Amino acid sequence: MRILVIEDETKVGCFIKRALEEESYAVDLCEDGARGLQIALITNYDLLIVDLMLPSLPGLEILKGVRQAKVQTPILILTAQSQVDQRVKGLDAGADDYLTKPFAIDELLARIRALLRRGSTESPGVLQIDDLALNPATREVTRSGQRIDLTLKEYALLEYLMRHTGRVLTRPMISEHVWNQDFDTFTNVIDVYVNYLRNKIDRGRSKKLIHTIRGSGYMLKAD
Amino acid sequence: MPLRVRLTLWYGTALALILIIFSTVLYFVTARSLRDAVDESLEETAAAAVRSLEERGFLPLVNEDELMSQFPELARIDKFFQIFSPSGTITIRSPNVKQHEMPLSPKALEVALAGRTLLEFAKYPKEPPLRLISVPIIFRGSLLYIIQVGTSMDSVEATLNRLLLVLLVSVPIALAVSLAGGWFMAGRALRPVDAITLAAQRIAGGDLTQRLTVPASADEIGRLTKTFNGMIDRLETSFRQIRQFSSDASHELRTPLTVMKGETELALRRPRATDDYKIVLESNLEEIDRMTRIVDELLFLSRTDMGEVKMERQPVPLDSLIEDLHRQASLLGHERDIQVVLRATAPAAVLGDELRLRELFLNLLDNAVKYSHPGGTVEIALTIEHTQAQVTVTDRGIGIAQEDQSRIFDRFYRTDNARTHTKKGTGLGLAICAWIVESHGGQLKVQSKVGEGSSFTVKLPLAPAAAKRPLTPS
Ligand SMILES: Nc1ncnc2c1ncn2[C@@H]1O[C@H](COP(=O)(O)OP(=O)(O)O)[C@@H](O)[C@H]1O
Ligand SMILES: [Mg+2]
Repeated sequence: MRILVIEDETKVGCFIKRALEEESYAVDLCEDGARGLQIALITNYDLLIVDLMLPSLPGLEILKGVRQAKVQTPILILTAQSQVDQRVKGLDAGADDYLTKPFAIDELLARIRALLRRGSTESPGVLQIDDLALNPATREVTRSGQRIDLTLKEYALLEYLMRHTGRVLTRPMISEHVWNQDFDTFTNVIDVYVNYLRNKIDRGRSKKLIHTIRGSGYMLKAD
Repeated sequence: MPLRVRLTLWYGTALALILIIFSTVLYFVTARSLRDAVDESLEETAAAAVRSLEERGFLPLVNEDELMSQFPELARIDKFFQIFSPSGTITIRSPNVKQHEMPLSPKALEVALAGRTLLEFAKYPKEPPLRLISVPIIFRGSLLYIIQVGTSMDSVEATLNRLLLVLLVSVPIALAVSLAGGWFMAGRALRPVDAITLAAQRIAGGDLTQRLTVPASADEIGRLTKTFNGMIDRLETSFRQIRQFSSDASHELRTPLTVMKGETELALRRPRATDDYKIVLESNLEEIDRMTRIVDELLFLSRTDMGEVKMERQPVPLDSLIEDLHRQASLLGHERDIQVVLRATAPAAVLGDELRLRELFLNLLDNAVKYSHPGGTVEIALTIEHTQAQVTVTDRGIGIAQEDQSRIFDRFYRTDNARTHTKKGTGLGLAICAWIVESHGGQLKVQSKVGEGSSFTVKLPLAPAAAKRPLTPS
């Protein structure tokens, strides 16, 4: 899951980025409002986190810009003002949720999970395909009840695959949603990580879940 | 008592007094002129009688018939005659005075004997009063007889009674009608006052957007309304400023809190290397320092608002203060590779608080260094202009846009440019500077152009002793 954080307070932006990365999200950070809007419009993010008080372009304008471009990415706004009218304006301008500073990291993560769940088609908290289960809240992955330990990137890749079961996912799609903008698309890192996942999930099992679609990419499905 | 009642009562009392005086005067003047008319006609009749008696040589009339033939009009008019002998006994009288014996009053006899005419009233029970004129007829020095003409005051009294009745009925009615009118008018005149009261109540309830509609007329109510609206304008502005200020303050304090909470929580989520904890603690320390500075500056500003800040008024030698600050600022500048130059100085002393003045110039120098580009130059100059010391701090840094130049002295106001340039700064420094300059009776001005640099000028009145010294231009 790839997230864009638009926040001008460097320290705040940095700890949000680190906290999210430790949860295996791919995170881009932007300190400038106008540039943030540009990036949000050209990249396919799964979630935007926007601070409302920004130099050059107020957060509200970013919200409007994004929604005007018909981009439906869920948006979480951060406000320092606890005033109701700011939040109401934010929600009216197209934000999906808000958080008042200072906030607890656990709450930030919970709200992000809720927003990402809302974006995808399946609504239950635990993602399930055949006997493979993934719980985004605890980041626990099991197959036939057996715990599988994954690295951050492996987890991120699996979560993305599981949120889009039965669909062909091309390498650019995977790189866009699992890696951030520092990632160089022309490497075979994706294939390497898919292989790591295969080893941990499908190896030694009769039923394979990860399928290679020749010439285009990968697909997760039960048969 | 409500104003409306009071106004009406005052008005009613005044009107009642006027009406009563008017009616009284009217009544008595009318009575007087009616009686005068009666008297006049009596006198005329008497004079006519005397003339006709004179024609017949004052021969006494012997009987009623002779009287009637002498004065045939007696049968028609409402007057009667009586003729008395000089002793006062009645000799003859016209037939329309049959009912009563009406002897000559002693007074009339006395006056007649003295040769004068008398007008008098006579009253008999159950009869309207009579008006009588007694004229002595004197021939060759002796009183021949007394002729008396009388008339009933009946019609006069009736007229006066009717007038009294009319007045007694119409005065209260007029009073009542005009009281009602006055009540209505007072209500109308006071209705805008009620409107003002209502609006004031709504405003007192917290709705400062309320305004009174100003009446078209430029009368007292119009002026009151305008004054009132002006007052609410100022109230609304200062309320908005306070709200803006507290929201800014909470924002500025929440940011360091957010950083501290976020970084600390993140560090505690899992075991970390010692260095990681160290970084977090150092960062938190920075935030704590920043909050401390904000709180100190806020406290200072709110104490200035309450008028609680004491200012010394001692002669302060500006030249040595500026030289000292120049050294301090050079150290500040050194960190960012910025040169601080003391371009001019002059012996100058001002009356004031040395600590505050130091804070003022240090703030300006700190800004100049902070908003300069590395490698830049900051200049300080102290000169004397007439009776004022002038300190100028000039930089070639990021500059301030025209539209921001009036707002940078507001609390917490920082330009977007400045925000992107550096994270250091609270936006309170210039507000404090402005206060210090103002409380020294000086002026603080800014000249700036975006991208070219800024120049802050402080003008302070020289201390009297120094002002007398011959000026030594630098
Ligand atoms: N020398 C300067 N050059 C450019 N901008 C300045 C300068 N001094 C002040 N400013 C502007 O005025 C604002 C208010 O200044 P100040 O009250 O001292 O706050 P701070 O320095 O903490 O930001 C600054 O944020 C900046 O935008
Ligand atoms: Mg400053």
